[in-house]
Amino acid sequence: MAALHAWRAARVTPLGELLAPPRITGALLRLTVQVVLVASLWRGLYSQTGATAGLTRDQAVTYAVLAVLASRLRELDQQAGRDTVLQHMHFGTIIYWYLRPLPPQRYYALRAFGEQMYGLAWALMGYVVCLAAGVVEPPKSPAVAGVFALSMLLGQLVLYYVMLLIDQLCFWTLRNGAAMLILIFAQNLLSGVYAPLWFFPGWFITMSRFLPFQATLSVPLSIYVGRVPLSDAGAQLALQAAWVAALSLFTRFLWRRAARRVVAQGG
Amino acid sequence: MSASSIEVRGLSRTFHTTVRRPGFVGGLRSLVNPERVPKHAVSDVTFDVAPGELLALLGPNGAGKSTTIKILTGILRPTSGEARVAGVVPYEERERNARNIGAVFGQRTQLWWDLPVRESFSILRDIYEVPKAQHAARLREFDDILELSAFWDTRVRHLSLGQRVRCDLAAALLHDPPVVFLDEPTIGMDVVVKEQVREFLRHQVEERGRTVLLTTHDMTEVARLAERVVLINHGRLVLDGTLDEIRRRFGSTWQIRATLADAHAEVVALPGIALVRRDGPQVVFGPDGAEGPTVHQALKQVIERYEVTEVAMDEAELEDVMRAAYVQAGPPAEEA
Repeated sequence: MAALHAWRAARVTPLGELLAPPRITGALLRLTVQVVLVASLWRGLYSQTGATAGLTRDQAVTYAVLAVLASRLRELDQQAGRDTVLQHMHFGTIIYWYLRPLPPQRYYALRAFGEQMYGLAWALMGYVVCLAAGVVEPPKSPAVAGVFALSMLLGQLVLYYVMLLIDQLCFWTLRNGAAMLILIFAQNLLSGVYAPLWFFPGWFITMSRFLPFQATLSVPLSIYVGRVPLSDAGAQLALQAAWVAALSLFTRFLWRRAARRVVAQGG
Repeated sequence: MSASSIEVRGLSRTFHTTVRRPGFVGGLRSLVNPERVPKHAVSDVTFDVAPGELLALLGPNGAGKSTTIKILTGILRPTSGEARVAGVVPYEERERNARNIGAVFGQRTQLWWDLPVRESFSILRDIYEVPKAQHAARLREFDDILELSAFWDTRVRHLSLGQRVRCDLAAALLHDPPVVFLDEPTIGMDVVVKEQVREFLRHQVEERGRTVLLTTHDMTEVARLAERVVLINHGRLVLDGTLDEIRRRFGSTWQIRATLADAHAEVVALPGIALVRRDGPQVVFGPDGAEGPTVHQALKQVIERYEVTEVAMDEAELEDVMRAAYVQAGPPAEEA
């Protein structure tokens, strides 16, 4: 009941961003530069060849640009807003998360939902501009668009839980900077943000199947560009759903354990 | 149904900490076979706070004040004993307890750093499900004393410490909690803001009937606000009483200097009052034993017994009294 009334918690990070114009200008500039560089890089790589790793040039550029746009979904500057779990643990303000009639896990989820909605607005604006400029290809059919949207939703849920898991580490370690750096690198590499996974050796692809990262971006983007046909999409969606379920259960367990750590670390 | 807002019965909390052995080999041994030692943060503490009462929970650093408050706010579970806040066992029903309490923990703000203060208030209104009209009325009331409107459209990161703590106090009371926990709320604030905060707290206790449990090291604050004091040290309750009782027990440093109308009048000790010295008509009285009268009671006795032309009294500063109390109430035997 409280969660319905606490919807304003979802506005925390987006509103903080909107009230800081330099951050918006910075995000716009960075996104533009990233899209231009990534599109140029992949066009350059394909200038001497027609298709590599089962991808044409246009498919590869579309994949790479969409990966940049999608990575914007959770890339907000919580650090500047003193609103990371790590900062709350450090300053001891995490205590207030446990003093309100709203469970901390629900508050965290609401806040993350707001962030992802705000990031989605950025990604959609970027997508429309890139589509109009011919940088990315449109989906092959409405069915592909629909399955992509569903897969993207599941991918974002997986990403939410992976990031939550790293934040929950703070309750035990107080410092999660190293874990966060590893996560960012692993997420970008294993989800295919740096390059589609088919460019990597076989053992790497096999290893990544056992990790949740490829479920965040690689799967939905592969569906979008047609590298994963709709006939195979069901299995991929099931795998994403399985990751969501497994991570949901594990993070729920960790929230319960974390509550006992609040005083020791942040009291 | 209990008549108390806060009931604490035999409350104890023991933490277990790992002791690092000295040296490289010791470090390795600690890694393989860590030595865990118990630390009794709170031991068998019992007290009550009545509705509409302001109680100061005092003690030196590490005495167990914050642990007690954390148990009462539901963040921490006691090892043994029981606590009830507004009829609710806080660590059993944390969310229900949260609706009954407000809390300010020193300089730790619960406001959102990047947002204007009013936005933080709105988020809290949402979380606590406070009707809009009530929220607006309460904000007006708080603004009258704390003068929040001058800066409530400012982002929290741009507020001064005094402004931020005033906003935090308002944030803690916006949902109209009957019980309020304040853990060193005025730490680091200037005297003007401190007085403003004290006035606000007095108003909340006297006019709104809120129960306040205050911890502070500022004895002026205690003297101006507290009706009753609970003193704990090394996790144990040392004293539960009024400031006068604390003064009587630990503050044996008052003096009454009087000039007698008759320089040759016979001067004798009065009940609980000793003659410290005499120089002609100038006499100095002091307390006789730990259970002696307060300085005001002694002054009354002296004036009634002798004809004096001039009288002055020096009372030990409350800070000195508390220092004496902390020193005298040393660690229990097993920890000494």
